[in-house]
Amino acid sequence: MAEPEPASSQTLSNNALKRERRARDRQAREEEKMKLSRNRTTVNQRPPMANDDAVDPAQYLRNRIQRLTLQKESGLNPYPHKFEVSMSVIEFIDEFGSLHVGEHIENTEISLAGRVLNKRSSSSKLYFYDLHGDGAKIQVMAEARHSDMDENEFANYHSGVKRGDIVGLCGFPGKSKRGELSIFPRSLVVLAPCLHMLPKHTITSNSAGAQSNHSWTPGTTRNPESYALRDQETRYRQRYLDLMLNPEVQKIFRTRAKIISYCRNFLDNLGFIEVETPAMTMTAGGAVARPFITHHNELDTKLYMRISLELYLKKLVIGGFDRVYEIGRVFRNEGMDLTHLPEFTMCEFYMAYADYNDLMDLIEKLLSGMVKELTGSYKIKYHGNGFDSEPIEIDFTPPFRRIDLIEELGSRANLCIPKDLSTETANRFLLEACEKFDIKCPAPPTTTRLLDKLVGHFLEETCINPTFIINHPEVMNPLAKWHRSKPGLTERFELFVNKRELCDAYTELNDPEVQRQRFAEQLKDRQMGDEEAMVLDESFCTALEYGLPPTAGLGVGIDRLTMLLTDSPNVKEVTLFPAMKPQG
Amino acid sequence: MEGLKLWRLSSSFAFARPSNFRQLFGFGASSTPLLRCLTTAATANTRNRRPSTSTSTSDREAVRAIRLKKVEQLRSQGLEPYGYKWDRSHTARELQEIYKDLNDGEELDGESHRVSIAGRIVARRAFGKLAFLTLRDDSGTIQLYCEKERLLNEQFEQLKTLVDIGDILGASGSIKRTEKGELSVKVDSFSILTKSLLPLPDKFHGLTDIDKRYRQRYVDMIANPEVADIFRKRAMIMKEIRKTVESRGFVEVETPVLQGAAGGAEARPFVTYHNSLGRDLYLRIATELHLKRMLVGGFEKVYEIGRIFRNEGISTRHNPEFTTIEMYEAYSDYQTMMDMAEEIVTQCALAVHGKLTIDYQGTEIQLQRPWRRETMHNLVKEVTGIDFTELEDDLKVAKDVVLKAIGVGLDSKDKTSIEACPSLGNLLNEVFEISVEPKLLQPTFVLDYPIEISPLAKPHRRHAGLTERFELFICGRELANAFSELTDPLDQRARLEEQVRQHNKKKAEAVSVTDGTEEQKNKNEDSMYDVTLDDDFLTALEYGMPPASGMGLGIDRLVMLLTDSASIRDVIAFPVLKTSQ
Repeated sequence: MAEPEPASSQTLSNNALKRERRARDRQAREEEKMKLSRNRTTVNQRPPMANDDAVDPAQYLRNRIQRLTLQKESGLNPYPHKFEVSMSVIEFIDEFGSLHVGEHIENTEISLAGRVLNKRSSSSKLYFYDLHGDGAKIQVMAEARHSDMDENEFANYHSGVKRGDIVGLCGFPGKSKRGELSIFPRSLVVLAPCLHMLPKHTITSNSAGAQSNHSWTPGTTRNPESYALRDQETRYRQRYLDLMLNPEVQKIFRTRAKIISYCRNFLDNLGFIEVETPAMTMTAGGAVARPFITHHNELDTKLYMRISLELYLKKLVIGGFDRVYEIGRVFRNEGMDLTHLPEFTMCEFYMAYADYNDLMDLIEKLLSGMVKELTGSYKIKYHGNGFDSEPIEIDFTPPFRRIDLIEELGSRANLCIPKDLSTETANRFLLEACEKFDIKCPAPPTTTRLLDKLVGHFLEETCINPTFIINHPEVMNPLAKWHRSKPGLTERFELFVNKRELCDAYTELNDPEVQRQRFAEQLKDRQMGDEEAMVLDESFCTALEYGLPPTAGLGVGIDRLTMLLTDSPNVKEVTLFPAMKPQG
Repeated sequence: MEGLKLWRLSSSFAFARPSNFRQLFGFGASSTPLLRCLTTAATANTRNRRPSTSTSTSDREAVRAIRLKKVEQLRSQGLEPYGYKWDRSHTARELQEIYKDLNDGEELDGESHRVSIAGRIVARRAFGKLAFLTLRDDSGTIQLYCEKERLLNEQFEQLKTLVDIGDILGASGSIKRTEKGELSVKVDSFSILTKSLLPLPDKFHGLTDIDKRYRQRYVDMIANPEVADIFRKRAMIMKEIRKTVESRGFVEVETPVLQGAAGGAEARPFVTYHNSLGRDLYLRIATELHLKRMLVGGFEKVYEIGRIFRNEGISTRHNPEFTTIEMYEAYSDYQTMMDMAEEIVTQCALAVHGKLTIDYQGTEIQLQRPWRRETMHNLVKEVTGIDFTELEDDLKVAKDVVLKAIGVGLDSKDKTSIEACPSLGNLLNEVFEISVEPKLLQPTFVLDYPIEISPLAKPHRRHAGLTERFELFICGRELANAFSELTDPLDQRARLEEQVRQHNKKKAEAVSVTDGTEEQKNKNEDSMYDVTLDDDFLTALEYGMPPASGMGLGIDRLVMLLTDSASIRDVIAFPVLKTSQ
């Protein structure tokens, strides 16, 4: 075994840099030699071929870098500038998937490229590769007799191709005797070597496991325990490895793109206009959360990262946009858990002359339509209680259940909740109720928080299938309009699915005087020590004084929606590069 | 005909020389755009010259008090001044379209012509038993024709005493075109949906205070509907970009805004602190390094449209947050991205203008493909006469040559920049920026940038010292930046390490200089931030990234170009402004 040298590339880079520069100069002089075909020429001093799996990863890396350096020194470019592909791997499968067993179309010339994730050889004249591209896989059957290299060259070149390398190849399509769709290359070239040893593929390409990987569809369950790369830390920290080795993961993010695209089309078709409002603002309003603070150098001023899109979107409705939406990043400086990350994506839309009843109908249509289009059914399977429990079924068939918050809480908890919740007495009543049911409420126990805890305990727990909890008391959101017929309540709904809030919506409060009063009440909570209570946004109140038409608005969490449709109980599963705790 | 009327009003020339009249008439079509420019320029001038007409604070407070009284009055009559909902049957534009052939003076009273609309009252004239209100919604305007007999109960009185310009009304009635030709809704009932408390800026003079226009964009939009049009066009452009790239198989992804190290560009990042992680985070200055990780992960065509943040100066061309599209395509090179840039910009121009010859601030821009593609070396040679391929490696000599060729008339800032260039490549770029950039009005791809200023681009396959990179210039402004991506992890590490070294050197110099001119201080201040190596990105490259090309395109600048907007603040709904009131 070689000396244990750290695989750290810093130590490599100084020498590598010099050598590489020299190589590049030479390269420039020998530009004639830079033709792709030259890349196939073998390098004389290739490190001896060992069984790669037996080599220590650090040694493996050093071997590969050494080989790379030698290649460069001999005037070859191991990183070609371009490779002309005539079709993608998926297109190849679509076009030739129906070939008969043993059928070859030798007069067709196809060029493909992708990553080699499996390599087998039965002799120096025959190599098999699994080529992965854009989420699909085919077999490469490289035979010396088809190659435009001579047998020695062929054996040399192919012994240097490693698992993980990106290759480009030209050849003809066919099906092997075992019925596997393959490409038979006349030429093959490494386009980018993989310098690291890839984590061992535990599932062979022919096994049923890999097949089921490829056939996962939104709305069905997943089993990350069966993945080639299972370690969660590695999967999230080095997402590119996760995407490379676990084909299902690519599909999660393609599903995410489809969800966003569905929302856009749905809203565009109703005449909504997509806008962009500031992510950095002078005050952070529109939600109850702790903001990130940053500093603008030239202005020498403090700026907050937005915690919601609400206030600016309403300003645009005031400005005359009757239907607006934004899909954008929102930031909250809070703890991370299974459903919370410091940045996430929200879709908020506002519709003039509509109220919260209209939006319940609209979101029902949007969500049930989306689930149906993406999964083919209204019902999805979801590991709502974690991967170690049985999956549950969630039914998005409209209409969704609607429950009145105060009525339902009263009957379920057998409480007679006071009508006026703004009093000390009401606060004491709720505090006692929480104590009675042994429900913990973090300090300070404001009426808002106590209610929130009771609702969480008695109502949210019952919401597996999509359920609207409606008509919240005024104290629970200062931006919602008072109910037109039920004093003390607001015209608001939250949509819960699998006990989690997915949407929050209301008829917007548009009376500037009442808005100011509500902000003043928030200030009281703040003074009680609730740092998350909403702050007065004077510029927003002024805007309201110019007149906000009757409007209803809704916010839906894109990450949570994606979690449901991709069977992901952890939000990190649906976030490409989630924030992670610093490595110890 | 509209054009002719304007000519008569604005040009005594036509009257003085009637023999030219016919000729002018014949040119009507082509002279219209010109006229439009002239008239807008004139309006803008009057706007700037006219003393501020915005109501003073005391007036505002008085109006507010009066209107608050009306709010109370409405409530005392059992009416809610802040309604809950209104069912509209039509928008104003729909009605204008449906009834465009209705004759002057004609009325349609049947059940099928009963309509219901809603919007803001922007003008009002009341006579004894008749009132005309102009209502505007987001599609356009329509007149409300209100007759006392036709309205129920006390509604006409209400209309006269309680409705103000600025209020939002819902109204229903039948259709009538007045004798004067104005299509109207003949109202039989209406409802105040939102009582406005503050007066709108003067209808004819709009919002005079430019700062206030940006700060209270919604007021600007109410007063000047064409402002809202810019944002409608912006939405249209975004949609067209998405359509163009998605039809080519690109997948939209979202990469983090908050990052442990801000890379992918050279810019001062915003810093923030995450409480629960207990560490500083940077706001992204580019999406590049994460999108490239996606290529390593096996996506072959990805893009992200997203907000980028740079903690730098504010100007008519720079806002601290702005929107870009970045896209990456495996197995392609920068030639592919040139085609893509042409495709995106022309598709957007067609969506907005329906044609490829557009006007930007008085310059006619021809977007017909293909666009000029020329190397930076050739452009510099063409404009300045300096042939950088013939210059020796001696930087000092090169600087002398440059100063001799273009030094006359240069301001001291440019001269200092030339003197400060640390390499021939930087010098070439400096000359390009000073002498060539402002001249590139028609779309031009500038190719093959020096390696020193392109740390993420692949070395040119034929020319040592250059990279396969281009920038797209239109109207003297950089619109896009693209390269054949550097995929060699060793080369990449060396180049990023060099970048950090250069930055730290600059920073150390800045620290050591305590006094100096204001300009120097600012310059020093500019480099007082940390640049860290994104090691994780380099590791990703070591796993192998396919040959690829990528491009970043500034969406705000594209919107400026296609909406003929002079400042970036005109295309960002709520821009960051210098002074706070």
